[in-house]
Amino acid sequence: MKLKTTLTALALGLACAGAFAQVVGVSWSNFQEERWKTDEKAIKDQLAKLGASYISADAGGSPEKQLSDVDSLIAKGAKVLIVLAMDKDAILPAVNKAKQQKIPVVAYDRLIEAPGVFYITFDNVEVGRMQARAVLAAKPKGNYVMIKGSPTDPNANFLRGGQQEVLDAAIKKGDIKIVGEEYTDGWKPEVAQKNMEQIITKTGGKIDAVVASNDGTAGGVVAALSAKGIKGIPVSGQDGDHAALNRVAAGSQTVSVWKDARDLGRDAASAAVSLAKGQKVAGAQSWSGGEKKVALQAQFLKPVPVTAQNLDLVVKAGWIKKDDLCKGVDAAKGPAACK
Amino acid sequence: MSPVPNVLRQLAVDWRLVLMGAVLVATALVFNLLSGGLFLSPENLYNIAQQTAVVGIVATIVVLVIVARHIDLSVGSVMGFVGVLIATLMYTAGWHWVEASLAGLAVAIAVSVYQGALTAMLGVPSFVVTLGGLMSFRGAAFLVADGKTQPVNDLFFQRLGGGFDGAIGVQASWVLAAVLVAALVLQTVLRRRAKAAYEVPNPPLWLDALVAAVPALIVVGFVATMNAYQIPSKDEPQGVPIPVLIWGSVALVLSFIVHRTRFGRYVFAMGGNPEAAALVGIPVRRVTLMLFALMGVLITIAAMVSIARLNDGTNSLGTGMELYVIAAAVIGGTALAGGSGSILGSVLGALIMQSIDSGLLLLDISIGLRYVIIGQVLIAAVVFDVVYRRLTGDAS
Repeated sequence: MKLKTTLTALALGLACAGAFAQVVGVSWSNFQEERWKTDEKAIKDQLAKLGASYISADAGGSPEKQLSDVDSLIAKGAKVLIVLAMDKDAILPAVNKAKQQKIPVVAYDRLIEAPGVFYITFDNVEVGRMQARAVLAAKPKGNYVMIKGSPTDPNANFLRGGQQEVLDAAIKKGDIKIVGEEYTDGWKPEVAQKNMEQIITKTGGKIDAVVASNDGTAGGVVAALSAKGIKGIPVSGQDGDHAALNRVAAGSQTVSVWKDARDLGRDAASAAVSLAKGQKVAGAQSWSGGEKKVALQAQFLKPVPVTAQNLDLVVKAGWIKKDDLCKGVDAAKGPAACK
Repeated sequence: MSPVPNVLRQLAVDWRLVLMGAVLVATALVFNLLSGGLFLSPENLYNIAQQTAVVGIVATIVVLVIVARHIDLSVGSVMGFVGVLIATLMYTAGWHWVEASLAGLAVAIAVSVYQGALTAMLGVPSFVVTLGGLMSFRGAAFLVADGKTQPVNDLFFQRLGGGFDGAIGVQASWVLAAVLVAALVLQTVLRRRAKAAYEVPNPPLWLDALVAAVPALIVVGFVATMNAYQIPSKDEPQGVPIPVLIWGSVALVLSFIVHRTRFGRYVFAMGGNPEAAALVGIPVRRVTLMLFALMGVLITIAAMVSIARLNDGTNSLGTGMELYVIAAAVIGGTALAGGSGSILGSVLGALIMQSIDSGLLLLDISIGLRYVIIGQVLIAAVVFDVVYRRLTGDAS
């Protein structure tokens, strides 16, 4: 008898909690990856600030498990879902089920193309623009090499598109000539290195700047350049990899466009709470640039280009320790952040 | 009936390898023509030599693994794991590169012996064991440093991967060439003497001289090419790159093991006929274990060269390398059914693969077409192998 009363009380309590606070259910695809821990903390902090509560499930990399995860999040009383999809197509039945129950879904960082989904991610085209802008500022004229991302990753082409927007005018004017352009299979640094070596040989070493699409490929590019004794030409990247930020401090890389996962987590949490209350999300826009051209509400966050001038930003944000950032950098000659 | 004349058969020459060499030369000439002389420029040949070294080092031992009727699909992942480990110990933990490399070696041997033991002692097929390893050690490579790239800043260590200061210079390269040529001459003289002592007829002197002269010329030509490449901002030409020197040494040592040690003969005997090998008293389990342990040693060497070359230890290091390594072995004439294969063949196989890849890059061929071509080259090599064996009546 006593047990039954307790259970009833508990159920009542849960129901009350649900009535007063918004319950946000987060379905993670694979929590093993380091970076999602940063995202989770940002989501939790923001939800606490907004007075909403957080429940979550981790699919451990299995699209099937993610389907049942979503079911159990709904059963536990989630009023809105944030989904980091393991598989953008396999997740659709779960999204439809949520829609039938009038539970809004936020597609977190990875696109889920179903009507009614709210998509939040960083603006990859803008990342490409920022990379090209930083390199262009350092080298307005000359021979450019474009080291693109993986041919199987749609982001690689978004990035390349953004880069082209910025460089286009200078190319048409004849100030910039693209002397080499290569995809990097699997974003692998060693592949980027090999490709860069062949481009250096092909052009006889006449290269003035390299627009590399991420920090891993930038690492391969810098290794290839320094092995051929080419030093000090601008190289771009993205991700804020510690090794890359160290290169920015040491001067062998010009820019690493940094996508602060905490911004993404914070804004996703705010968006989720607004959606649960039936309100419009601030900063949302209509977007239909996905594969299937489904019209969605979406929010694109602005990344930050990190260069030698604003390196202290990543230290202040707690993203990297000053010691790691400035390892092997001469404090006297290095950027302000290492002084 | 064999179309190859008897005189040629008696020579200590593997005609298969000569043909592979001819394919390599033909490939190079075609690319050179298409690229307007760029392909055979010293700089490009220097590139290719360096780019091939890591795959080449691992391919030498994978030949033996395949000869013994096993396979190792985990080579790329284990190399990534060990590479990141060494880089992390140096960068984050601040160890000296020697200590870090020895620790990496210990881990690599432990990993290889673990996989080898499951195969040798419990009889689990190596395909399955190393397929599991392919996944788990890629995961381990991620876990070592939480997926963070580990820079390799030790300037001395960086030389192992080639790069700006990563070659031995002109003088040392010529000394090396002289030593190798002297060794070739000595080997021929000793062989002729031994044959005479056992009253085995020697081929005519001019023929033996020719057989020794070809590899000698290749050595001299290679060294001359490497000595002709000078980085514009340097005062002196490069000479033989250190990773290539390491690769060459590894190939020589393994060839010695194959031809001159009991272990080497056991491996081939096991691959030729495992039941018979066990029946004649070859300690099959122990030899298999030793083979995998040797694998661990070579993977460590490859991992060191690889992180030194990239100046970084990344968790994606060596992804997909197993395919290139196995392809190099197969193009080099290693039979996937086991029992036959050669180290020198793997060297040629790796060079052919990389030459095609780098050559297509020089010609600006798109990535899709590049993969199509490289895949078809692999098939062509196996077709050639089958046809060659049928024509020469080579049973194995």
